[in-house]
Amino acid sequence: MVNKKSCVAMLLAGGQGSRLGVLTHQTAKPAIPFGGKYRIIDFPLSNCANSGIDVVGVLTQWQPLELNAYIGSGSPWDLDLSSGGVFVLPPYMKQEASEWYSGTANAIYQNLPFIEQYDPDYVLILSGDHIYKMDYAEMLASHIATQSACTIAVRPVPWEEAHRFGLMNTDENDRIIEFEEKPKNPKSNKASMGVYVFTWTKLREYLTSDERNPSSSKDFGKNVIPSMLAAGEKMSAYSFDGYWKDVGTIDSLWEANMDLLKKPVPINLHDRSWRIYARNVGMPPHYVFPSGSVENSLITEGCEIAGQVSGSVLSAGVVVEEGAQVIDSVIMPFAVIRKGAVVRRAIVAESAQIGENARVGEAEGQIAVVGNNVRLADGAVLPAGEQAGN
Amino acid sequence: MKNKMVGLIYTGQRADQLRDLTRTRAVASLPMIGRYRLIDFPLASMLHSGIKNIGIITQKNYHSLMDHLGSGREWDLHGKRSGMTILPPYMTSDNIGVYEGLLDALRSNLNFLRRSTERYIVVSDSVFLYSVDFTRMLEDHIARGADLTLLYSKERSIRRHGSGNYLDIDQDGVVHQLEFDPSLPHYENTYLSCFLIRRELLIALVDRAVSGGFHLFFNELLSQMLRENRYRVVGFECPNKVWMIDSIASYYSANMDFLCAKNRALIFNRERPVWTKLRDEMPAQYAPGSKVSNSLIADGCLIEGEVYDSILFRGVTVRAGAVVRNCIVMQDSVIQRGAQTENVILDKQVNIQENARLISSPSYPLVVPKDMSI
Repeated sequence: MVNKKSCVAMLLAGGQGSRLGVLTHQTAKPAIPFGGKYRIIDFPLSNCANSGIDVVGVLTQWQPLELNAYIGSGSPWDLDLSSGGVFVLPPYMKQEASEWYSGTANAIYQNLPFIEQYDPDYVLILSGDHIYKMDYAEMLASHIATQSACTIAVRPVPWEEAHRFGLMNTDENDRIIEFEEKPKNPKSNKASMGVYVFTWTKLREYLTSDERNPSSSKDFGKNVIPSMLAAGEKMSAYSFDGYWKDVGTIDSLWEANMDLLKKPVPINLHDRSWRIYARNVGMPPHYVFPSGSVENSLITEGCEIAGQVSGSVLSAGVVVEEGAQVIDSVIMPFAVIRKGAVVRRAIVAESAQIGENARVGEAEGQIAVVGNNVRLADGAVLPAGEQAGN
Repeated sequence: MKNKMVGLIYTGQRADQLRDLTRTRAVASLPMIGRYRLIDFPLASMLHSGIKNIGIITQKNYHSLMDHLGSGREWDLHGKRSGMTILPPYMTSDNIGVYEGLLDALRSNLNFLRRSTERYIVVSDSVFLYSVDFTRMLEDHIARGADLTLLYSKERSIRRHGSGNYLDIDQDGVVHQLEFDPSLPHYENTYLSCFLIRRELLIALVDRAVSGGFHLFFNELLSQMLRENRYRVVGFECPNKVWMIDSIASYYSANMDFLCAKNRALIFNRERPVWTKLRDEMPAQYAPGSKVSNSLIADGCLIEGEVYDSILFRGVTVRAGAVVRNCIVMQDSVIQRGAQTENVILDKQVNIQENARLISSPSYPLVVPKDMSI
């Protein structure tokens, strides 16, 4: 028995994130760089640290190496503790069955023994593909105050987009009376954010029975939540009206990066009371050459800029050579944009190289994507909406 | 690999010429190159040479140094088999807590030397900025059967009239003569205040020197060793460029040298990171219409105006219409709308008010002390 914790967080980081195309061929989605010096997972981990939650299990199975190395001992988020901390939880072999995580609910089910070690009262379920700053402690307090079995964080979405989300129909006390997954005719515009607080005994009970149901797809949204509702459990919605962005697609990942350049900025990363922590690469300040120019952009440590950068977000160690242009783009760590190349409305992934005078993306149209370690030849052209992968 | 060397960094050196910059801080904690402190560089050389136990001797004004180093976590110096030991001054029956020199400091910290288990020790101070591989220095020390190896440089820019320590070294690398604070240096080799020695031998030498009433390592102990001719003292040349931070002008020009890519490459590279205290700042933000050229800009900066030929530390704000030229701006300083600064060093949290003009000469840059508003 380890020491008792009131609340344990479980972060679902196992999905491939196939809608991100070449970006997740070699990397788990939560390890994707974001906003210059962060990775997507920095947001839920920093939220946990800032909310006083100090046990976080990270469930991984797709391309976990980079994510594992990134999380390391958890020290960037103050999660390297004797009494808790961050734990990477891959599937493992057991007496009765050894299997991959077959769904979000199954992933947690397979790790019930991990949660049991802390004898918690509540379990917080998070996902690794959203950019937001949220005080989970407030949500937990609401869950306790309403004596719910489960509390689901929701945010209002525009009515015309509501049909793309999992929606909660609630009564006047925010009690959930109905859950609809992507309905044609929405009755509510309160969309689930994929953030759940469960009373631990209820979670264990419903996960165990869901596991025994052979027709279940072992998913929180499709199976566990509906069966709890059907059984008449008290389910509450917790409204969150801050910035929240799903970055599970190329377009939304690009947009979320571009949101950081807006005035006023919809998500303040300069907030000393709610810092977003990240693992540091240990590089000197970035340098702008006499030939370089930068405006309306975010640039971080280790970048060397001899070309023109505007409307873009550059991660650590990016090189933009003389005469190169980077416009309205997201450039991930250690990518190199060679002389005369033009990168427009594009995402260039880690350590990719764009050859001299190459053209990536266009002023209009879909986002172009260059995958990790891809070397684009001199003079190559990658039109809008195209992806270059390994 | 088992550790062969322990490191010791002395931060007690006097710095009269640095004036306002060192009024509230030790030389070792001088802010450098946009995000570092001077001590980060000897620490980096030691870490990259496999030195995992490092003692840091502090003297006065060491609060900022303690704050910077913390638990040593950023340097991976917080383990069971590795670590950073801060050695502040303390009073004993025969020591009033103020070191007259390195030898004094070593005597007060003999316990650190005795408690270490590594066979060799590298002792360094922190007024020089360079990158050196101490494993090569150790190989050289062993290959030449040396008792004591002194690190030196032929760099001309660190020679001073009336100050510094210089070595006469023959073609076999053996040190024969010393000069300290000559009005005109006679020898071309500047001693970098860094040496490598067997730990047990250093303990014996310090014990003996102290009983002889010595305080100074170079002027007294080393002079005597050379006179006695009992020990083999050799020189090891630092293969790279060396900077010396001993005045406001040299502080300014050393920093500005890092606007040159060639100099940055000497100290920084991806395989050998220079670690420092983290601030978890967001990336630098450039507003529409900002202009920046030939400048180093750290994270957390907000740039709306123009910045030329300058170094901006973390969290600096340059408001719209402000122009910063040839400046070093330390963390969290603000240059308000329409203000102009040229050839000045702004210490931490300085506020340059709207439309203010602060223009000085590049050969003698003005220093605006910490927390001032002008």
